[in-house]
Amino acid sequence: MKSSFVLRQTLNSLWRERTPVTASILTIGIALIILISLFEVSMALYRNLNDLKQNMVVEVYLEPSRGEADAGRLAAQLENYGTIERIRVVSKDVAAEIFEKEFGENIYDILKENPLPVTIEVRLLPEYNHSDYLALFKKQVEALSGVDEVHYRHVLVEKLETITQAVLISGIVVLIVLVFAMNLLIRNTIKLSVYARREQIAIMKILGAGNLFVRLPYILEGALEGLIGGIMAATGLIIAHKFIADSFAAVHFSPMVYKMLWINTISVGILIGLFVSAAAVGHFVHKIHAKK
Amino acid sequence: MIRFSHVTVNYGYVPGALKDINLQLHKGDFTLLLGPTGSGKSTLLRLIYMDILPSAGAVSVEDRWSSARISPRQINLLRRNIGVVFQDFRLIENMSVFDNVALPLVIEGYRSKYIRQVARALLDEVNMLQAADQPASTLSLGEKQRVAIARAMAKNPIIVIADEPTGNLDREASQNVLSLLERFNRNGTSILMATHDYELIKDTPYRRIYMENGELRQPDRTMNVGKERIFKTSTEE
Repeated sequence: MKSSFVLRQTLNSLWRERTPVTASILTIGIALIILISLFEVSMALYRNLNDLKQNMVVEVYLEPSRGEADAGRLAAQLENYGTIERIRVVSKDVAAEIFEKEFGENIYDILKENPLPVTIEVRLLPEYNHSDYLALFKKQVEALSGVDEVHYRHVLVEKLETITQAVLISGIVVLIVLVFAMNLLIRNTIKLSVYARREQIAIMKILGAGNLFVRLPYILEGALEGLIGGIMAATGLIIAHKFIADSFAAVHFSPMVYKMLWINTISVGILIGLFVSAAAVGHFVHKIHAKK
Repeated sequence: MIRFSHVTVNYGYVPGALKDINLQLHKGDFTLLLGPTGSGKSTLLRLIYMDILPSAGAVSVEDRWSSARISPRQINLLRRNIGVVFQDFRLIENMSVFDNVALPLVIEGYRSKYIRQVARALLDEVNMLQAADQPASTLSLGEKQRVAIARAMAKNPIIVIADEPTGNLDREASQNVLSLLERFNRNGTSILMATHDYELIKDTPYRRIYMENGELRQPDRTMNVGKERIFKTSTEE
């Protein structure tokens, strides 16, 4: 009886305050679409950056006069840095084979000699795969005797890092703005509901109703707004994902992605509605009590 | 059962809404609280269900609750043991008559079967069972007050406090309300009714407490209101 009473109160309130309720639901829905999209873009960039870093090879080109023996000595020296995961010496002959594989031409046929230098391929430990250390490593290694040049795809790494950081910062800013907007609208809806029923709340208090009994319908109202907003956002996001997957042959989303989209978006919606309304209703119901 | 010990109430900057009240209300009594508008009757009633707390002194109910040391949670428990009837009924207008009467039982968390049983019996007793499913807003004023009395009785309270329950009603409806309260009192419920409808209570044998300017007045057998003598028994200190 108690739960059915609370549920009826909640549904009545949703219906009575349908205009602000609709505004709250739409705000939650749109905000969730933006939030989840930003999260997905950030995650995709982060994953790509990580993949790139995982496969990042730093190539240390030796001076043309240096041979494999020098490369072996240098490799041993580099291993002492303690930041290296894997190291491989690529001889002039192996370099020529790679050249032939990549360009389809034998270098001796073109130049009558092999100008390709002995190279040391270095793969750093994951925790050192960031632009700051890479730059330092390049500088240190280039200073070693016998090293001609150190090369890695620093422009790409730095660009990706900058983009990821920008997305992260703008994501946080957008998150703050959206949470503020959601908070404002849900609070306003709850405020209207509480004031519309201030007489009823005062009566319930005189009849001895506890805080939870008085507040529960409003908290549930917030959670329901979050649930509906979440369902709307999840539906929108899934349609968008299907559209992207249909439009780009290279893009594919597993069924798990769709499942997680449903669960995450709706859960976040409910939690936002729940917390904002719980905070708001405490404030406004207390005010009514104080006025009595 | 209910004791006021040196109770003073000040509202903000306005001192002396009640001044040093000493009073005892006994179990099973029907007590009338009389006095002009603004004399402090409603303030005194609100102190019993602790809608306000005294600025000085203490109110105790059944030695279980005392305003001197009561928590918000205890106030809720106290209110579940007191029935309150207001001049403006304070029904939840968009709820059905049945739901209004059932509300105190719902708050207490009783089972639906018991709630249905009690609420229907009470509605029958106040002759409102036929309107059980109607929204409270569709009732006449007299009917609303009968429903409010049924709601006040729902929890078999220690006392029913009625604050000018006939203030908005015509003579016939007022008489009905008084009869209802008398009937519940005969069954053992204590009643404290504030009123300035002296015509209505002139022939009743109940104890009378007279208030004026926030103070209890001593009995004065010569004191008349209009043509009616209103005191038959003394107020007590």
